[in-house]
Amino acid sequence: MTLLITWSSSMSSSASSSKRPAPPAVIPGSGNNIIVSPLQRGNPILECIRNVGKEFGDIVADYQVGRTTGVLFLSLKYHRLHPEYIHTRIEKLGIRYTLRILLILCDITEHKDAIRELTKVCLTNNITVIVTFSSEEAGHYLGIFKQYEYKPPNMIKERVDKDYTSMLRTSLTSISRVNKTDVQTLRNSFGSLANIAKAQPEQLSELPGFGQVKVRNIKNAFEKPFRNHATNTLEFMQAGDTEDNGTGDGGGLLDGGTNLKESDSAYRPPRDPSPVWDIELDP
Amino acid sequence: MSTLLPFHTSILNEIYDPATSDLLVLARGLGLRRIICTLLKIYDSPQNLVLVINATQEEETEIGEELGIMGCRKPGLRVVGYETGTSRDRQDLYKGGGLIAVTLRILIVDMLQNIVPIDLITGIMVMHAEKVSPLHLVSFITRLYREKNTSGFLKAFTDQPEHITSGLSPMKNIMKELQLRRVWVYPRFHQEVKDTLERKRADVIELAQNLTDNMDDIHGAIIQCMTITLSELRRSKVELDLDGLNLPAAYFSSFDHIVRKQLDPIWHKVGPSTKALVRDLGVLRRLVGYLLVYDPLQFHSYCQSLVEAATTTNPDSGPSSLGKSQWMLTDAANIIFQAAKRRCFVDAPFDDQSKPLQEIDLDDDDEAWNAIFELEGRPSAPPRATKSGTKRHEWIPKDIHPVLEELPKWSLLVEILEEIEGEILRMESTITSRPVEEPPGTNTTLVMCSSTATCTLLNDFLSSKDDKRPKGEWGRRMMLKKLRSWLWWEKRKKTAVEAPSGAGKKPIGGPSADDMIWRGETGDDALSEALKKKDRENAAKKASRRRVRGGGPVGIGRASSVPRENPAPGVSDALADDFFTDENMELLALDDQELEFNLLTDITTMEFVTEFDAHYGLLPSAETLLIRAYSDDTDDRMLDEIKPRFIVMFEPCMEFVRRVEVYKCSNPGLPVRVYHMVYANSCEEHKYLAGIRREKDSFERLIKERGSMLLPIIEDRRAAESDAIIKTISSRIAGGRRELNKAPSQVIVDMREFRSTLPSLLHASDLLVIPATLTVGDYIITPEICVERKSLADLVSSFNSGRLYTQCELMSVHYKTPVLLIEFEEDKAFSFEIISDLKSYAKTNTRFPPKKKPTGNPAEHDYSSPTIQSKIVLLTLSFPRLRIIWSPSPYATADIFNDLKKDRAEPDPVKAVATGAEEDPEAGAGVNAAAEELLRSFPGITAKNVKHVMSKVQNIRKLCEMDLTQVQGILGAEPGKACYDFLHKGEGK
Repeated sequence: MTLLITWSSSMSSSASSSKRPAPPAVIPGSGNNIIVSPLQRGNPILECIRNVGKEFGDIVADYQVGRTTGVLFLSLKYHRLHPEYIHTRIEKLGIRYTLRILLILCDITEHKDAIRELTKVCLTNNITVIVTFSSEEAGHYLGIFKQYEYKPPNMIKERVDKDYTSMLRTSLTSISRVNKTDVQTLRNSFGSLANIAKAQPEQLSELPGFGQVKVRNIKNAFEKPFRNHATNTLEFMQAGDTEDNGTGDGGGLLDGGTNLKESDSAYRPPRDPSPVWDIELDP
Repeated sequence: MSTLLPFHTSILNEIYDPATSDLLVLARGLGLRRIICTLLKIYDSPQNLVLVINATQEEETEIGEELGIMGCRKPGLRVVGYETGTSRDRQDLYKGGGLIAVTLRILIVDMLQNIVPIDLITGIMVMHAEKVSPLHLVSFITRLYREKNTSGFLKAFTDQPEHITSGLSPMKNIMKELQLRRVWVYPRFHQEVKDTLERKRADVIELAQNLTDNMDDIHGAIIQCMTITLSELRRSKVELDLDGLNLPAAYFSSFDHIVRKQLDPIWHKVGPSTKALVRDLGVLRRLVGYLLVYDPLQFHSYCQSLVEAATTTNPDSGPSSLGKSQWMLTDAANIIFQAAKRRCFVDAPFDDQSKPLQEIDLDDDDEAWNAIFELEGRPSAPPRATKSGTKRHEWIPKDIHPVLEELPKWSLLVEILEEIEGEILRMESTITSRPVEEPPGTNTTLVMCSSTATCTLLNDFLSSKDDKRPKGEWGRRMMLKKLRSWLWWEKRKKTAVEAPSGAGKKPIGGPSADDMIWRGETGDDALSEALKKKDRENAAKKASRRRVRGGGPVGIGRASSVPRENPAPGVSDALADDFFTDENMELLALDDQELEFNLLTDITTMEFVTEFDAHYGLLPSAETLLIRAYSDDTDDRMLDEIKPRFIVMFEPCMEFVRRVEVYKCSNPGLPVRVYHMVYANSCEEHKYLAGIRREKDSFERLIKERGSMLLPIIEDRRAAESDAIIKTISSRIAGGRRELNKAPSQVIVDMREFRSTLPSLLHASDLLVIPATLTVGDYIITPEICVERKSLADLVSSFNSGRLYTQCELMSVHYKTPVLLIEFEEDKAFSFEIISDLKSYAKTNTRFPPKKKPTGNPAEHDYSSPTIQSKIVLLTLSFPRLRIIWSPSPYATADIFNDLKKDRAEPDPVKAVATGAEEDPEAGAGVNAAAEELLRSFPGITAKNVKHVMSKVQNIRKLCEMDLTQVQGILGAEPGKACYDFLHKGEGK
């Protein structure tokens, strides 16, 4: 707590005046270091930046973690005391940097309104918000930003090259309630995925660990059609406008008897329409 | 439909009035469905529109059938599901009136799109009211309903008081959400219920069966494992209040809920080994349940699957020590697996090839099996060994000696059935000797058990029962058959594992024989399927005593009316008898080549077996035995229609006891005898007793709450609405009031998002929610802002699958401002950090929570594997235009959306639906999310071609049935091959 207050006061003083001799500002050099604005001097997150070098430099953002990436840092505790501070910083930032980050350190419990307000401000100013929950995490973010500057996004792309077992596992566990033991059981008893798809519900429910719900989920995933038209909105929306007045009309409900018979044929009846054996006719 | 009991009538009198809205809490088994159906019948008329919501699919069908029986038939209850028609058809249906059961998500969409005339709804019946919470869809529906319709009724029902637990005054919360003020609580100990039911009691015989020694060992060992796991969990860094949670509590699935509830606020921060502990508890609990119901072989193979699943490590899961089940490494686990095996067979040391006993453990299994298969491949017939008077079958590998222990309840069941038989004979003789009128009811014996799997097992056991053996080995024949097929599976599995290691080479001689057996096996399956062909949904199974094969419960209710005299039964009996005994004997005696042939012929006899259904009802009921699984309120109807005098409860079930009480009371003069079987000193017994206690406690709590409840006053939303209008006036310059009303802020929401709570909250915050099936994004806020919502679990999984990257790609292409919404949950922590695992706990336990630590311990900052943070970084680097919204709860999200909508243009739904769906001819149609998810996970299928595949192929099964060229025709040569190979890998060529 004390640490933070001294830091904030030093930050505001250095922002407002330059009574003290300004720290030697280094012009951004090698490009392998995170360039830190002198304003951030004393910020505890500096110590948490690991695995990358740091150097001070005269930049508009607080941290320049890449050629085109600038980061502003804001502690919500500080924001609560000086709500205007971040606006001036954003203003100064102008339109510099392609990727503009606002790194928010969420260190108060009543964060809801602050985050909401900042989200809105950032959206209008083309700034991406990242919320962190501790200085360590914030430092981690900064380090990662620098480390990943030129990294291709393969890590988060859809991957194809995996071995069969793990692919099968991911496939089948995507069905709700199916766990890896079940995958093993399914594989052992049916052999291939195609055979699982063809399995009868009875066969499935005889396997150890398979209850009715699990079997139903599996069957739904394999056998229900991809598309259903129950919720085809587009058609309704397009047609709906012309007939908008008609929907609220109450006439239909009263003379519904005839109406119903026509529409009923289009529906899957909940049970067999004509039972072979009729209770009431039985003596 | 049987008569209503006095307490049913008085409940109906209280709640039938269509002018009032009520909540009814009834004890399970007292006939809730009877009450609901009677109510529905009262309301049924084309002038009324009554909606039944929140029922499961099965319940909808059941209610429909029951209404049909009650004479409410044309048109009766109509069910609206995803497969029914278009919205236009539905509109007609709603306008036609009557009783309609609707799926929640469809009803919401229909209400939002004004497809259902809300002001004309007569009333809504809400099933499972215990599930209602402020964020539940039913609350959303209630709000929409009450906005436009204040005169209609809303009746809510529940028979699960145990689940009404959320918050300080759970019942009040439910009533508030449903906006009703009257509640009726009818526990079993209600005076009126007691008076009715305790006048006539059924004759109950309680039987406690001891476990066998092996089972007792396993039972003890599992309990020990659970204790270990529990204490590990207590030691974990997470602060859990587990003091009250000792072992008996862990028998219940509710225990999982309690643990999860405590862990939920920090679940995403909990380390993998703690998660594994929680998961293990679930596994162990299931295991102890399976011990009592599965036959030894099935239990053993389940154990094997467990071990296998634990040993095949997933390369993605990082360090292999994480997420492993700790209990598997204990001695107790060894006892479980050993004893599970010992119940099936022991390695027989009669041969010099066999291994000494002390070497048998799990790792050695493989070698042992290899030896077996070598032996089996050899054409020479192994010498016949005679042990304990048993003829040794040729196909049993000679280094194992089958033990095939049977579940003790099986013999007990046989004894009971014999007793019942004697009882029936005695009764018949007294009736014939004296001029006594025959009491009502039939002599059909009803056996009730917990699951359909048990039904099948009992069916098999009873139909292949071998009386010549000593008690405890009556099911030997069935067990041998099971052992044999199990051995084949093992062998098949072995070859399947070996095949790929041989680099595509076919194992010599192996596959063809295997394949034949495989076909043979499916034939066998088909055979047993035919036996239980009918009434699958209801899980009713028919079985026979050794003399007779009885009919199924298919036509239950019609049984008594079918003429009994017919020459057919005798014939089919004899045939059946022959068939079954012969088949089994042969099956065990034949060698491999003949086995296949034999099984093929079985397929042809299959049709013969199905004829039993045709002969149903022709057999005298005294010789019919019905085995069924407990299935909620459906059991009431079943009891009513069969009218059995003898009921065997194979497993204890509190509700069913009550059903029998109700059944007994609604059929005065009918003698009912119930045999109640339970394993002594097992978790089964504990569970049963504790279940009763829990229900009683929860009822007492509810009654207490009702006594002190401050009735919620339902606020009038109109006052709030008028404010909204004023707001609109001040912010817009427009003409008439009517115009203004029509232009509230609107958000387009993807259909699939209605599973989440956000749409409901958006509506609550005065946004107009427009449902649509979107290809790109989940929420369209303005023409430029498109939001993809990710809950934390989603975020992690879609990072892993790469899905998020593709989604962001799509959003960036089509919208100026793509937004990723990371939504934390209301009562969960707003943080990413991982609470480190148990290992570091011992050292740093005084310094919790970790945030305060200046440097942090090494475990916490071990960022060696890619963290979620680094993935977010990579995502922002890849998509600089992507904005991220961090929302602590759905409520906050709704506020943020409102903020973002200020002074911005409204989105256009038609455009939003068409966006990104240019190549998709069926844009806007509903999607089967589970199937799409599964399809996406196949190799060769990417986010780009998934829509194409979905429009070409009807479902995944169809895709599996295509041949290589067809698949390639859809996907292209390379991906098509990959997909086809993936689908068919592991099949014998």
